[in-house]
Amino acid sequence: MAKYILKRISLFIPTLILISLIIFFVIQLPPGDYVDSLISARSAEGEIFTPEEIAHWREYYGLDDSWYIQYGKWMKGIITKGDFGYSFIYGKPVWSVISRTVGMTVILTLIITVFQYAVSIPIAIYSSTHQYSVGDYFFSFIGFFGQAVPNFLIAILLMYWSFKATGSANLGLYSTEMLQNGIHLYNLGEFLKRLIIPIIVIGTASTCGIIRTVRAQMLDEQSKQYILAARSKGVSENVIIYKYCLRAALNPVVSGIGGMLSHLFSGSTVTAMVLNLQILGPELLKALKAQDMYLAGTIVMVQAFLVVVGTLLSDIALAWLDPRIRYTKGRD
Amino acid sequence: MAFIKKKANKNESYYMASQWTLMGRKLKKHKLAKLSLLILGILYLGVIFSGFIAPYGLEDYDKLYQNTAPTKIRFYHEGEFIGPFVYSLEKYNNPETFRVEITEDTSEYYKLKFFTKGVKYKILGLFESDIHLFGTDVGSNGSTSGKVMLFGSDQLGRDIFSRILYGSQISLTIPFASAAISFVLGITIGSISGYFGGVIDNIIQRIIEVLGSIPSIPLWMAMSAAIPAGLSTVKMYLLITIILSLINWCGIARVVRGKFMSLKNEDYVMAARIAGVNDAVIILRHLVPGFLSYLIVSITLSIPSSIIGETSMSFLGLGIRSPATSWGVLLDETKNIANFSQYPWKMIPLFFVILAVLAFNFLGDGLRDAADPYK
Amino acid sequence: MESVTAINKKEHILEVKDFKVNIRTDEGIITAVRGIDFNIKKGETLGLVGESGCGKSLTSKAILGINEKICESLGNIFFDSNDYGLIDLVSLNPKGKDIRNIRGKEISMIFQEPMVSFSPMYTIGNQINECTRLHITKDKAKSKEISLEMMRKVGIANVEKRYNQYPHEFSGGMLQRALIAMALVCRPKLLLADEPTTALDVTIQAQILELMKELQRELGMSILFITHDLGTVAGMCDRVAVMYLGKIVEIAPVEEIYQNPKHPYTKGLIGSVHKIGNKKEERLFSIEGTVPLAMNLPPGCGFYERCEDRIEGLCNRAEVDLVSIGNEHEVSCFACDHEACKAFRAKVEAELDGNIGGN
Repeated sequence: MAKYILKRISLFIPTLILISLIIFFVIQLPPGDYVDSLISARSAEGEIFTPEEIAHWREYYGLDDSWYIQYGKWMKGIITKGDFGYSFIYGKPVWSVISRTVGMTVILTLIITVFQYAVSIPIAIYSSTHQYSVGDYFFSFIGFFGQAVPNFLIAILLMYWSFKATGSANLGLYSTEMLQNGIHLYNLGEFLKRLIIPIIVIGTASTCGIIRTVRAQMLDEQSKQYILAARSKGVSENVIIYKYCLRAALNPVVSGIGGMLSHLFSGSTVTAMVLNLQILGPELLKALKAQDMYLAGTIVMVQAFLVVVGTLLSDIALAWLDPRIRYTKGRD
Repeated sequence: MAFIKKKANKNESYYMASQWTLMGRKLKKHKLAKLSLLILGILYLGVIFSGFIAPYGLEDYDKLYQNTAPTKIRFYHEGEFIGPFVYSLEKYNNPETFRVEITEDTSEYYKLKFFTKGVKYKILGLFESDIHLFGTDVGSNGSTSGKVMLFGSDQLGRDIFSRILYGSQISLTIPFASAAISFVLGITIGSISGYFGGVIDNIIQRIIEVLGSIPSIPLWMAMSAAIPAGLSTVKMYLLITIILSLINWCGIARVVRGKFMSLKNEDYVMAARIAGVNDAVIILRHLVPGFLSYLIVSITLSIPSSIIGETSMSFLGLGIRSPATSWGVLLDETKNIANFSQYPWKMIPLFFVILAVLAFNFLGDGLRDAADPYK
Repeated sequence: MESVTAINKKEHILEVKDFKVNIRTDEGIITAVRGIDFNIKKGETLGLVGESGCGKSLTSKAILGINEKICESLGNIFFDSNDYGLIDLVSLNPKGKDIRNIRGKEISMIFQEPMVSFSPMYTIGNQINECTRLHITKDKAKSKEISLEMMRKVGIANVEKRYNQYPHEFSGGMLQRALIAMALVCRPKLLLADEPTTALDVTIQAQILELMKELQRELGMSILFITHDLGTVAGMCDRVAVMYLGKIVEIAPVEEIYQNPKHPYTKGLIGSVHKIGNKKEERLFSIEGTVPLAMNLPPGCGFYERCEDRIEGLCNRAEVDLVSIGNEHEVSCFACDHEACKAFRAKVEAELDGNIGGN
């Protein structure tokens, strides 16, 4: 098992490097660069620039090198100094721009993850032990709907209803007051209230996915012979459900953590723009539109990093959960 | 005895039926999948005949008709039944508020009729015509200002119903085009990975893993940000298609590889190899047919994510951009909550997205059940 | 008809009376077990022989009440329990405490495929010990000692280490030994063995069968031995019941059935299976045994279509019952040449004629 975990960890760094390479390559694809968009904006205001000035700026922003040299410099900065580059639109280091947003994204993601499991696993257990009951059909339908309908569309609908009902759409994670004073104990309640809609909207898709997986897996396990063998020993139904079925059904859930996180970031990116949440998604759109490459690159990189960490943790958890992996994969 | 014979024959046909026949039979039993197929059929008929069904052109606008609610279709004019007709709108100076308001002009009526003449269009880019399925007749005084807008109009006074139809030409075909590309990429790369194994397999698996770790929508966004503004619609369409398929092939490749891994050690493959059949033929003739049904299922299930991807990107202004129109572009006006809560019909395109996504999901689900014919 | 209390407490451990199993499916109700009667004596091994789908597994699972929800058991299965006295197992709630107390403790079961009879998630020791702790003692050290003892008894070497291993670390034969240990750890009075050696290779089959016989002698239990392989029956069983399409067609002591088989199906089994009919009919036959046809069975003997001795106009019109022909031998066939069968046939024919006359 130690060998297996070591192997997974040793893959961690190369994976990240490969990811950063792909991301950087994609980010620098748009024709032109920040200086171009800057100049076109300022030219529109009537300013005229000499080629020397433009070249000077290119050099200043480090945009005169070919893309792989820029990549090398970016990587070197990250590894040696923890410096993620310079955000052109904000005029300060990328990390200082997004550190707060990253924190919020991580917190929101963690809350949503906990919410998902807390809601979906009990429902899945209920559905699988009451197969074909009214409740099972109800949850199956909701599950299908939630999984199929993109969550930013749900967000639009929820916003519409909330606007019609209350006259305000309850947008954003922070109230103006919170932005000024920060979050303290006295406005924590308000903050949590603002979290409800984002959690439900962003969490639905994965919640429904987990319900479907766990339900199907539990039903599958129940038809296996070892369940029959356990039952013939005189084991009670509760032990069969919790000790045997649930334990086996958790494996695909755990191994799906990486994919789930990836989905979460995908879904939350668009949803965050609809709901005006101060997390990474909207920042990314802004950066992409302004060709602020280091900012955009860092944001995608952070998301991918979180996914890779999630995958690594799920691999380790799976090895711990499933004796077969512990045994076989440890050897090769 | 005839009874038993008949039963036996029925069973005989059960065992002899091809995989596809069995799949079709099982799919027929799946009510939701059947309904989905029907809905998708209607939607795709709309794609083919959008120019004919839509009463107005893509960019036809009328300043008088900005942000109007779905047109009321009436039957009684001045208490007299004259069949379905609509009133036009007119500007009206409100003497009390001293403002220009827009109200219905009830003095003149415009009958609805089938096969009216309107803007020119081409079906499938081949057959040109100017006959539209339905539209408004010329008024009795010869005026043509009567408009029928089933789903209302947008900020510029364009008919949302027509635009949804034109939008479907992009929104409902991109997923297919990208599925086709993913299909080819996925089968090729997946079969190479699964058939040869070893180092090649390892490298391909790493790449898939890496691509899978990058959240898809942010990556799509980054790639579509690279699409220069002012491209022709066709080029934009192609680029978006390619962007979507660049990630979707991973899933298919993984399925193909898994199937290869389990099938390549089967005796019949060994027999073919000993008989000197070359690798490409073994892959295409002996291996791929064995799991084609699973592939079709996974492709059907990958289409919704392409629809969502295209819609999301266009919605954010990174995908299809005006003047080209997709459902995502139509949703643009819903970004402003004050705007669409005042004009809720602007959410109608949203229901088409949901309908298409759900239909593909249910169809995929039905196909998945059917792909296991003996179960 | 015998009364409900007819079980001979001294002699019989289990009595199955007019037992049926109905399966609810989308297409209707299938009666997979169509009224069977048999008993198992204390310390004896009864073989239940038949091909797949004939209802033998359903019967054995019904004894423990572990059939799937869609299966409904009808009739009586009387069991002579230590804790409950004489008890009808069919009447117990399959999820209730009473039947769970009997399962594993007084009646236990071993299955066809040992590889899938253990959960891959827990150690073998954990799963054997689960049974010990449920039924014998909650004391951890004691129960582990009991479990280890039984593992030794079934011939697992190095038990201390094996106890903490997972199923995938065991070979098939070893797993079947572990499964037997799990079934016998509470020293049950009755063991249901559902094709316990089918999934194993031949040399290991013999070892497992030998082991079962040894343990039977030591523990003094009865065995219901279910198989489709008449070869293993000869060495294992005292009596044999042959099942066909949900009914027992013949039941007799093992020597009697080999020397003097009466039912054409039994004869076929003992001779060669391939002798029955030509290839085409064989195909048709195997279809007949499967679920779709079991639902709309025509009246008469289920074996009629395949039977070489069939009597047109009788076998396909009247139901046939088991008739005792002495020497503990019962057979259900109109074509049987024994006096008792002939008498039964005459009676049925008279009834049939009477019906026609009456109509």
